Amino acid sequence: MTDKSKVDQLVDWVDERTGVKALMDEALNEPIRGGARWAYVFGSALLFLFVVQVVTGIVMTLYYVPTADHAHASVAYIQKAVPGGALLRGIHHYGSSAMVILAVAHLAQTFLYGAYKQKRELVWVIGVVMLLIVLGFGFTGYLLTWDQAAYFGTKVGTSIAGEIPGVGPIQQKIMLGGTELTTVTLSRFFTAHVFLLPLLLALLAGLHVSLFRKAGPAGPYHNRDDNKVDRFYPKQVFFDSVAMLVVFVTLVYLAMKMPAELGPVADPSSDYLARPPWYFMPLFQLLKWFPGPWSIVPTVVLPGVIFGALFLLPFLDRKAERNPFKRPIASLVLLLTLAGSIGLIFLARHQDRTNPEFAEKLKKQEEEMHAFFKAPFEPQVIGATTAMVGATGAGGSGAAPAAYMEHCADCHGANGQGEADLGPPLTGMSAKPRRTAEDLFKIMEDARAYDLKKPMPASFPDISEADKKAIVEWMLKLK
Amino acid sequence: MSDHLSTQDNTERRSFLGVLSGLIAGGITAVLGINIGRFAVSPALSAAGVENWSDLGPVAEIPEGKPVKRNVVVSQEAGWGKFQAQRAVWVIRNGEKVTVFTAVCPHLGCTVNAKEDVFICACHDSKWDVAGNSQGGPTPRGLDSLEYKVEGDVLKVRYQDFKQGIPQKEVLS
Repeated sequence: MTDKSKVDQLVDWVDERTGVKALMDEALNEPIRGGARWAYVFGSALLFLFVVQVVTGIVMTLYYVPTADHAHASVAYIQKAVPGGALLRGIHHYGSSAMVILAVAHLAQTFLYGAYKQKRELVWVIGVVMLLIVLGFGFTGYLLTWDQAAYFGTKVGTSIAGEIPGVGPIQQKIMLGGTELTTVTLSRFFTAHVFLLPLLLALLAGLHVSLFRKAGPAGPYHNRDDNKVDRFYPKQVFFDSVAMLVVFVTLVYLAMKMPAELGPVADPSSDYLARPPWYFMPLFQLLKWFPGPWSIVPTVVLPGVIFGALFLLPFLDRKAERNPFKRPIASLVLLLTLAGSIGLIFLARHQDRTNPEFAEKLKKQEEEMHAFFKAPFEPQVIGATTAMVGATGAGGSGAAPAAYMEHCADCHGANGQGEADLGPPLTGMSAKPRRTAEDLFKIMEDARAYDLKKPMPASFPDISEADKKAIVEWMLKLK
Repeated sequence: MSDHLSTQDNTERRSFLGVLSGLIAGGITAVLGINIGRFAVSPALSAAGVENWSDLGPVAEIPEGKPVKRNVVVSQEAGWGKFQAQRAVWVIRNGEKVTVFTAVCPHLGCTVNAKEDVFICACHDSKWDVAGNSQGGPTPRGLDSLEYKVEGDVLKVRYQDFKQGIPQKEVLS
């Protein structure tokens, strides 16, 4: 008799066929030089957050509609009407900010620990690309609600992209899908946000982790704990789990305490004062100081320098020294950049609050947003046809003549409302060119002379002259 | 002896932290899972059909004895929208007596047409007489009549959908 329990036997059975034990061993028993640390939790927390964003994002597409005329109503439905909707959307909304914060924290930790050195250059470079993708997620996701802030924020964002010398104008057109911000833009942003960027980020994350695993964790920047080694499981797994819990609880708390915002539907004719999400605020603030042709300084030059430096960092800095205190210039540059960015965010907020003109307008916008947000959900009314008035005979043209019902209604609808793919609506005919009573009469005699194509019959020899007149009369009254 | 003890301690510590990590993962999954379940399922279960009485105009305007096709507008509440959908019905008036049939063929859902005094469905060649009784073809039953009422002199009909392909008339809900 063996001592093996049924569970162990099952595990062995699966293992013999999959090699799952070796896989788990590889995943969990990776040695961490210098021992497990809280400082190492950011990467795992980011991966966790990405999964949360994917899951909450996928479920929201159950109801979300990516067209300009329904997007806002569908988001309002998710936020206000569907049980669990406010929570899931809130997690996704604050999750995007958390992604940026954790990505920057992860980058700063790696930078300060000098963990991009010693054959980890590619891990670092891929990480920088992933940071750009995270910002791309923020930019494309912002438009999807199609409220005032989304519309005007994206308008400014794409205009900035258009001001870049050389490629700007064509880049802007490709982003917008034309010259204006329309439903086509929304489709493009949606496709990027839910298909392209997630796929790209998932692939890069896989590469990032596997290359990191190949190089092994860098460990602490000093040699004091060199003889101490922890396995990834259980201590670092536990630290990582706690970090995930903190992230998750924070997101749930924010989603419940301060529900993700949704303002009134985009009104392109309004004078809405656009403000970007906080992580683009430094750029926004700098734009105020670099007017006209100088605006490329904050939009192109500065981001170009910062990301260029990040990309090149592991190739420029070839020294083995990892201690941040012995690399004062590098550490100082990082801290100043971070402090500067945070300072610019607060400065932008401060100026918005103190400038009487802005402050008042922004306050009004915020009140409008809260008013819309508090109002109960109203379903969007679709397709209330004026033709239905005709059906009841109230104020319209009354019921269709019998000849119409026999010969025309199957394709143009019993009330002249049209049928998809068969016949166009006949409403509003009196306002159209070449559609006088005489024209309409002639159309029924010789439709091809009026360029009407099949399936419209060329003529209606079965309809009497009197009936044709009745049809024309009725048609012209259709509103 | 002490070696043995410390190994045991270590194993216990390992499994303790492992269990805690598992609890955290389980808790997060549960909170997300429950809310995703509510989000995905509850609107589907609570969706209620709306009572839909639609106007068909004054009774007097319905011609005597001959089937007339009329469109009714039904209001569907579906998720974020309230949709006005057109549905066709056939109305037959014989003096005071009115009959309203849905134009949906009980066979497979094509639109039923009228020729002279017979109803036909051109899709699969089903036929009914003017009273809606089956007169051949693959249709499993007669045409489905709809509930109606006359308010003032206005004819109103309560539009409903019925299950297709079965011999008995059963409301789809």
